[in-house]
Amino acid sequence: MTVATSPRVKTVSQGAPPTSAAPPVRQRMSRDDITMRLALSALIVWLLLTVLLPLGALLAKSFEGPDGKFVGLANFVQYFSNPALTQSIGNSLVIALISTVICVLLSFIFAYGITRTCMPGRGTLKLISQVPLLAPSLLPAISLVYLFGNQGIAKDLMMGNSIYGPIGIVMGEVFWTFPHALIIMTTALSTSDARLYEAADALKASNWRTFWTVTIPGARYGLISATFVVFTLVITDFGVPKVIGGQYNVLATDIYKQVIGQQNFRMGAVVGLLLLLPAVLSFAVDQWVQRQQSAALSSRAVPYQPKPNAVIDTAAFIACALIAVVILIVIGVAFFASIAKLWPYDLTPSFKNYDFDNMDGGGWASFYNSLRMAALTAVIGTAMVFIGAYLVEKTKGFHSGRFLFQFLALLPLAVPGIVLGLGYIFFFNAPGNPLGAMYGTIWILVTCSIAHFYSVAHLTAVTALKQVDQEIETVSSSLRVPFYRTFFLVTLPVCLPAVLDIAMYLFVNALTTVSAVVFLYSPETTLASIAVLNMDDAGDVAPAAAMAMTIFFAATIVRVVYTVLIRGTLTRTQAWRKR
Amino acid sequence: MSASLASEPYLVIRGVTKRFGDFTALHAIDLDINKGEFVSFLGPSGCGKTTLLRAISGLDVQTTGSVRQGGRDISNLPVNQRDFGIVFQSYALFPNLKIKDNVGYGLVSAGKTRAEITSRVAELLTMVGLADQADKYPSQLSGGQQQRVSLARALALSPGLLLLDEPLSALDARVRARLRGEIRELQQRLGITTIMVTHDQEEALTMSDRIVVMSKGRIEQVGTPDDVYRRPASPFVADFVGRMNFMEGNLVAPGSADCRGAVLSFSTEFTYEPGTPITICLRPEDVVVRDTVASTNVVNVDVGVMEFMGNHFSTNLHVVGTSLNISADLSMNDVRDLGIKPGATIPAALPADRLRVFAPTAA
Repeated sequence: MTVATSPRVKTVSQGAPPTSAAPPVRQRMSRDDITMRLALSALIVWLLLTVLLPLGALLAKSFEGPDGKFVGLANFVQYFSNPALTQSIGNSLVIALISTVICVLLSFIFAYGITRTCMPGRGTLKLISQVPLLAPSLLPAISLVYLFGNQGIAKDLMMGNSIYGPIGIVMGEVFWTFPHALIIMTTALSTSDARLYEAADALKASNWRTFWTVTIPGARYGLISATFVVFTLVITDFGVPKVIGGQYNVLATDIYKQVIGQQNFRMGAVVGLLLLLPAVLSFAVDQWVQRQQSAALSSRAVPYQPKPNAVIDTAAFIACALIAVVILIVIGVAFFASIAKLWPYDLTPSFKNYDFDNMDGGGWASFYNSLRMAALTAVIGTAMVFIGAYLVEKTKGFHSGRFLFQFLALLPLAVPGIVLGLGYIFFFNAPGNPLGAMYGTIWILVTCSIAHFYSVAHLTAVTALKQVDQEIETVSSSLRVPFYRTFFLVTLPVCLPAVLDIAMYLFVNALTTVSAVVFLYSPETTLASIAVLNMDDAGDVAPAAAMAMTIFFAATIVRVVYTVLIRGTLTRTQAWRKR
Repeated sequence: MSASLASEPYLVIRGVTKRFGDFTALHAIDLDINKGEFVSFLGPSGCGKTTLLRAISGLDVQTTGSVRQGGRDISNLPVNQRDFGIVFQSYALFPNLKIKDNVGYGLVSAGKTRAEITSRVAELLTMVGLADQADKYPSQLSGGQQQRVSLARALALSPGLLLLDEPLSALDARVRARLRGEIRELQQRLGITTIMVTHDQEEALTMSDRIVVMSKGRIEQVGTPDDVYRRPASPFVADFVGRMNFMEGNLVAPGSADCRGAVLSFSTEFTYEPGTPITICLRPEDVVVRDTVASTNVVNVDVGVMEFMGNHFSTNLHVVGTSLNISADLSMNDVRDLGIKPGATIPAALPADRLRVFAPTAA
């Protein structure tokens, strides 16, 4: 076998004794290395343009005066000296705190029931618990109006209080953030070491004592994480307070009022920056928790198997079933209200409310736009996320680039949707920005959605890639196979479940999101979730409910189709997983 | 250039140093490996053996120094321009491809025709004894079978160098023993230059033409298994390969030393001053208990604990009248014929020509 000698090989004199001044060896880059670096650089530029620079534009705007000149902290001073505005800060904090406490408590009980008891119907209950994810945050708000509003069928339960205001906001937010907290809690409670429980048992500790000394401490990182995640989601949410907040002002609706109502972009920017604070704090705490978490569970831990206990199982089932019933009622009310001629007076079924084309909000076109946008987000977003994660994991060297990419990929976690949308207005509308051509088209909505939901998708991809043998690329190099061939033949098929997961995540979120897109849609690109908002604003609550249900059904159908496809496709293409 | 290359060893490593920040993993390694040789890098974890392998392969290029393969300087070439096949501890098989597609993976990119690939894959699978498993997936094979597929894949392009990174560590003992022989036999048949990294000295001793014993980023000794075992060049090698008695003593005369009261003579001559501390090493199996009259260094020993090891007894011996204790492997024959029991006192010889003596090394 002949070995070709490259004409550019550097000859080193044989047997030369090494000196301390020996020249360092710099390995030449192969074509693969260069390609990967270029591709990663392109993605870095993309993330800079779609995440960092809009935030920069937001920051710059908050320091701008009416004529566009730099005025230092004048806007901030103006904001803090206006009690009407600063009252929102207190309101937001109160709402977020109460919602967080209730949501974390409920999700803990539910997660405990699912992972630590042998209560019946765990599978079904788990399924029902994920339902709120398929609906825009506006939907629970509308249902609550139907239940407890001025014509609400359960109005008496309110005992004289109005649903419009803090009570309604809290109830709506708890409903909407419940699944997010539940996922974190379930993970925290299911990764526990059975040996600790056996030890407690052998030392004759009571169930109660074991709960407080073993279970709670073991789940503490999940509790902390869930608390911060829910707090941030609530304090930055825009949909629920918009529909049901009444006169109770919160920061998220203030931004909307300043920007859309008063065209005061600078004040909107100031409030936007304020909203960044809880998100950034939550992000920092979560990073700390991640580090502690990985140290907590040793590789020798034995997974916990719950033992049947009639008393606990029954109690857990009752509690969880109650929660599940509430979830179903909320969805059910919105559905029945949407198909009733005039709720609650004329309950004859009719699809009048679904006749969107005869109402404000953009008609059925809004729905199709939403589907299109969600599909584009899912397809383009998944490709970008997975390729980006692959490049950041597998590129040799290029530490500065990879570090920058990791930072940019996780940055969206710290940016609320409405703040990002606001930054997009400033950045893409700035005079002279060539990307401004995107503004007003569906592409800015797609770009913003991909950026907004990038982090979780990225982390999912990275986790999946880390589970594939890390030496696959090495073997490929040694066999002189270009990296992209191995990527398509091996890496992508092996990670297919994660890729489909990411696509599903991006699709559902893009379909149901309100905050990220509320500033960016145009008459040609109206969206379903915005249509719900506008119809509700105009007093057409029933059609709003109908549109919200349409979104819900679309998301559910796609979810069901995805689950069926997963089972079908994967059994065929992933047959190699079975022994 | 060609005249000097003809006499050059296949793999020439000169002055290879690897630094990670402040930590130096390899200190100016010089090594020659001949064509067709099977060389093992042997040492404890952290000794730098894997680092050296990764430098040769280009996965983690050295900080300074040169590597020449087949007369070509490959020091700064990227991995895909070098000429080697590699087998990992984790097999690194492509889980979603059939065995035949795994083995033929590199051939497809090399532009071979379908017929050529099929025949070459069949040839390779027959070589490793897995011709009937071609259509299975890796998860359906056992660990030993997967490693053989990994080997076949690495050999598909007929590389000039085969690198094995702890290939047997993930397998259980029986499979390991069998695969050892198969890999060695295959290597000899193909005549391919091979480097194996291992921490298992049994593997190194049975498979290698030469062993490179490493410690803390330096080469302690390079030699045949016999050299390394019988004539260890340093106390580290003596201790790492096989079991060894270490007897600390002081020099009494150029050819003898006092070890805790027992005066032992040995064959090498040391010209240090009397009183200089030295270390005398003796393999447990070299202690002689039968026909000791004609031997050197005969002492009386009290027999202590005798551990039954199956084919021998690992015995503690205390030299009467001294504070010297040594461990001896006494064969079943000797124990039975001489009636050796714990508590007995018997004569034992520590033959002078079997003693390895290490003088204090300059700091």
